[in-house]
Amino acid sequence: MTDGPRIAILLATLVAMLAAACGPRRIAGPSRPGDGPSRPGDEMIVLLRDSEGGTIGRARVSNPSGSTDLAAARDATQVAENEPPGPANTLSEADVQRIFGGALSALPPVPRRFTLNFRFESNELTDESRALLPVILNAVKERSVPDVVVIGHTDTTGTPEANFALGLKRAMTVRNLLVEAGLDASAIEVTSHGERDPRIYTADGTPEPRNRRVEIAVR
Amino acid sequence: MTIPRWVIVLTLVLASTTPALSQEPVAAGRIKVASGSAFIVRESKMIPAQVGHVVFVADGLRTGADGRIGVTLKDDTRVSLGPGSEVRLDRFVYAPQDGRLGLVLKIVRGVAAYVSGQIAKLSPDAVRLETPAAIVGVRGTSLAIRVEP
Repeated sequence: MTDGPRIAILLATLVAMLAAACGPRRIAGPSRPGDGPSRPGDEMIVLLRDSEGGTIGRARVSNPSGSTDLAAARDATQVAENEPPGPANTLSEADVQRIFGGALSALPPVPRRFTLNFRFESNELTDESRALLPVILNAVKERSVPDVVVIGHTDTTGTPEANFALGLKRAMTVRNLLVEAGLDASAIEVTSHGERDPRIYTADGTPEPRNRRVEIAVR
Repeated sequence: MTIPRWVIVLTLVLASTTPALSQEPVAAGRIKVASGSAFIVRESKMIPAQVGHVVFVADGLRTGADGRIGVTLKDDTRVSLGPGSEVRLDRFVYAPQDGRLGLVLKIVRGVAAYVSGQIAKLSPDAVRLETPAAIVGVRGTSLAIRVEP
């Protein structure tokens, strides 16, 4: 994180404070969202576009008096105790930064997930998966305090116990590749979900190459 | 659903006689961003928050007038606080291999941002954000919340 955005926020805050102190008193007129006379306990909740992928989720804000749905980017509702949440209105980008910038600027980097596949009945990665290793290493090196979790998975052929062990073996294979490539071993957590966390749901005893995989979470 | 009385009694007895078991801290994530006055509130103690510190279930996070904190949980959920803020991680369960998932985050005051992770993706109803005046249910999303002190 550079100081640029922080200074920008600081400047924006100062300018806002000066404007409030020196500017003409507003007696009436449209106030900006979140500017109104805020009472203790007043709340504002805003839906935001996801930083990765740019998709927009949904949120429902409710209390015993009612509920409001937020469905579009920067949709916001204001809530006070013992009153239903206010109707959704859309904030400007500038309002979002002005009101929530202090928290948004402290969000950690976007976590990344990678899936590595194995050649059939083998501990060898497929060529495509092998090509992902440098990308994974870069994602780790970008972070100041990286968490790396390597999780082994299997299909449903064989017993759950044997599959737990096989998943762990696959995860260790990948861990060793990452350590060989220069990653600090103490930063890597290795675990197995065996056959219990499939990518594709199947009946027991079903061979399914897409479930024979190792997932790597980089946070 | 009713819980048999003996289960409640047994639970209470176990809880009162085995404090080490009942208070076993569950690691939920790590602090990735911390600046200014920033604290972890753990069993009513204020611990200065530093980048790399582990955050446990039931921990609170608190910032002073110049503080900021950013946390990434084990399911990729991200939570951050601006200045003068407090949130508490009331519940965090991430065991997808056992089908056990849950996240309850209480925003006590100030400004906070939430970006959903795997729990919201696998089981949206298992995620609940609480403020003093409302409850927020999410469908895979990013939110920001302000609570006037």
